[in-house]
Amino acid sequence: MNVVKQIFGTDFRQFTMVFALVVLLLGFHIASGGNMLTPGNMQNLIAGNAYVLILAIGMVMVIVIGHIDLSVGSVAGFVGMCVALSARDLSFPWWAALLTGLVVGVAIGAWHGFWLAKIGIPGFITTLAGMMIFRGGVIWLSGSVSVPVPPELNVLGAGYLPEWGPAFTNLNNSTLLLGILAIAFYAWSQISTYRQRVADGETGLNFTAVIIRLVLVGAVLAYVTFLFGSGRPGTSFPVPGLVLVFLVIIYHVITQRTTFGRHIYAVGGNKQAAALSGVSVAKVHFFVMMNMSFLAALAGILFVARATSAGPTDGNMWELDAIAAVFIGGAAVSGGIGTVAATMIGGLVMATLNSGLFLMGVGQDKTQVIKGLVLLAAVAFDVYNKQQGRPSITGRLFGDRRTSESTTDSTKVAPAAPAAPGTAES
Amino acid sequence: MKRRTFTLGSAAAAGALLLAACGEGRSGGETAGGEEAGSGFEADATIGVSLPWLGTQNWAEAQAMFEEQLKSAGFTPLIQAADNKVPQQQQQIEAMVQQGAKAIVVGPIDGTQLGSALKAAKDAGVRIIGYDRLIENTDAVDGVVQFGSIRTGELQGQSLLDGLAERKGEGPYNIELFGGGPADPNAPNFFEGAMSVLQPKIDDGTLVVVSGQTDFQQVATQDWDNGKAQSRMDSLLAANYSDKPLDGVLSPNDGIARAIITSCKGAGQDIPVVDGLDAETESIKSIWAGEQYSTVHKPTKDLVAKTVEIITAFQKGEEAPATEESENNGVIDVPIYALDPIVVTEANAEEVFADDPDRLALLEG
Repeated sequence: MNVVKQIFGTDFRQFTMVFALVVLLLGFHIASGGNMLTPGNMQNLIAGNAYVLILAIGMVMVIVIGHIDLSVGSVAGFVGMCVALSARDLSFPWWAALLTGLVVGVAIGAWHGFWLAKIGIPGFITTLAGMMIFRGGVIWLSGSVSVPVPPELNVLGAGYLPEWGPAFTNLNNSTLLLGILAIAFYAWSQISTYRQRVADGETGLNFTAVIIRLVLVGAVLAYVTFLFGSGRPGTSFPVPGLVLVFLVIIYHVITQRTTFGRHIYAVGGNKQAAALSGVSVAKVHFFVMMNMSFLAALAGILFVARATSAGPTDGNMWELDAIAAVFIGGAAVSGGIGTVAATMIGGLVMATLNSGLFLMGVGQDKTQVIKGLVLLAAVAFDVYNKQQGRPSITGRLFGDRRTSESTTDSTKVAPAAPAAPGTAES
Repeated sequence: MKRRTFTLGSAAAAGALLLAACGEGRSGGETAGGEEAGSGFEADATIGVSLPWLGTQNWAEAQAMFEEQLKSAGFTPLIQAADNKVPQQQQQIEAMVQQGAKAIVVGPIDGTQLGSALKAAKDAGVRIIGYDRLIENTDAVDGVVQFGSIRTGELQGQSLLDGLAERKGEGPYNIELFGGGPADPNAPNFFEGAMSVLQPKIDDGTLVVVSGQTDFQQVATQDWDNGKAQSRMDSLLAANYSDKPLDGVLSPNDGIARAIITSCKGAGQDIPVVDGLDAETESIKSIWAGEQYSTVHKPTKDLVAKTVEIITAFQKGEEAPATEESENNGVIDVPIYALDPIVVTEANAEEVFADDPDRLALLEG
């Protein structure tokens, strides 16, 4: 039993969310007659939802500091339109248009950050204003007409990695290489963590458990690699997915391994205590809001790159998709709780539901109802558990190590492996 | 340590050489699965139909008619609607390709924003037919079936003039203009067609646009939202018509026409002459009751029948039927299969709907 615990973590139920995702994927695969877990569909799922997942990365940080950002959809739409217009009307080359978009995003973020951090207007209101301002802005700028974006940007939103090297692998070798790197990195991190803990004098550790876990996670990663790599020649793990994985790793490290990350959780958990401990609350507020709009800009650019043009209604209601992903991922409305990795799982659950229901031919009406119920169920499960004094899904999955063997620090979390961010350590 | 670095380095170099020697990976790329015209597909193939939403009657009818007509032509229909959200429509089209659709009919939400999804469909050998709206900014479209949108606008404008002469006596007439949702490529065309009829009459003083708002951008109704049209009418009436009558309003569709009439009733105005589009149930009742003057009927049945006819040609491996018109979508010239719409007024309603039992019943009710 002890070995099982060391393989799956201290509590088997901590895998609830990941487990739910796997069940959904398999369930839809069967129900749709084998159309779910196909290379094409998985590539579409990642490429088609990358923009929401990127928004969710920023959103979880905003929600952790106890605020909310309602403007992300409008900001994404506004930035997408800026990119399209700067390329068309100002004849910017594609890279300059892209940079313009990101700069506009950061500037908008600084604007939101200023009102929240310096003036003290709650994020909800600052960004409600931003939602109107930038929705109006995009319609104003565009004259309500869709504007094509430079075709070079299409790679960013809908591109695939190159084909190269030997053909006998029967896979896209770029994807294969990524998969091998992911497995190697996971193995390295697991073994070095184990060695560290042994060196720290921890007892009762079982190396076999580490190996079994490695084999299990390695098998999942290998399968994912195969799934994405074995599509139609010319397709691979999609480029927007790669951008997403890259961001997830960066933001996972920022939130879990840096001082700034700890400040975010400190401010969200107890603002007064954080301030008294010398954390600059205003600075944290400012940068988290600025970062959110930066990511919204990136999401908007990815979207218009995929859509091949920027439209006046781009980004409508995206904020709600992002917020749903964060809460399904177990973040707390009151702030202080929530992780990037768990949020990605939450977002993928929504994306899988969407995709699976499309494949089964379920109409938009019923899809909306089902998604609403899933959101409610996930959050209700969380709240119920908290009332029972047990850790939340988040706590079980990724965060809190207070229940574990004591020596590890409470914010330590397994590194997110590409395409399998839910694989937690012990 | 040094030695290890060296070993790694040489291994990497050797690997790179080996890979380079092995060529360019999997071949195929773009052409994989691509079917040239002339190859056809199975007679019971899956045909995808991606509609923008079911929030207006014409789309709900299209859904039912595609289901019926595709089935009776022997195909397996796969019909979905996207709740007016572009990302959902993109994902639906991709899902249809996954499910093995051989042809996909797309009624786009925004005709410019489906480039990547349609390219993926084309690469998989799927034939793509635009339905009701032009698909822009991509070469992945085999043709568009629609009612001529400029022609529709002309009919709307002409009908407004006829109605004014019939109901409001001698001119000059005070009128206001409304346009459709600017993201729909048809909307500016409707307006352009209508203005080609109305502008000469505005210039010679027969028609007076009291508010002075005559640009499409000024008169457009975001998302074809009836509520927004009603608010705009409310403010136009309050600002310009406290001391004069409003004789006529150009309306791009039936929902907006009814919003305009509601607003005029609320402001205590006589009901102006209002045209419409789509022959929606409520508007037919309104026309029959003598309120809305006219609507332009685009029989969904005909449009769907034309679409199914083209799909059947593709299925047999024939070329698509020839067209007279084509329109540049920014990348290629898209063949346009244009059908002619019909103006319906109180006078000819019974005749037009003679073989449409659902609508005919409204006139008897």
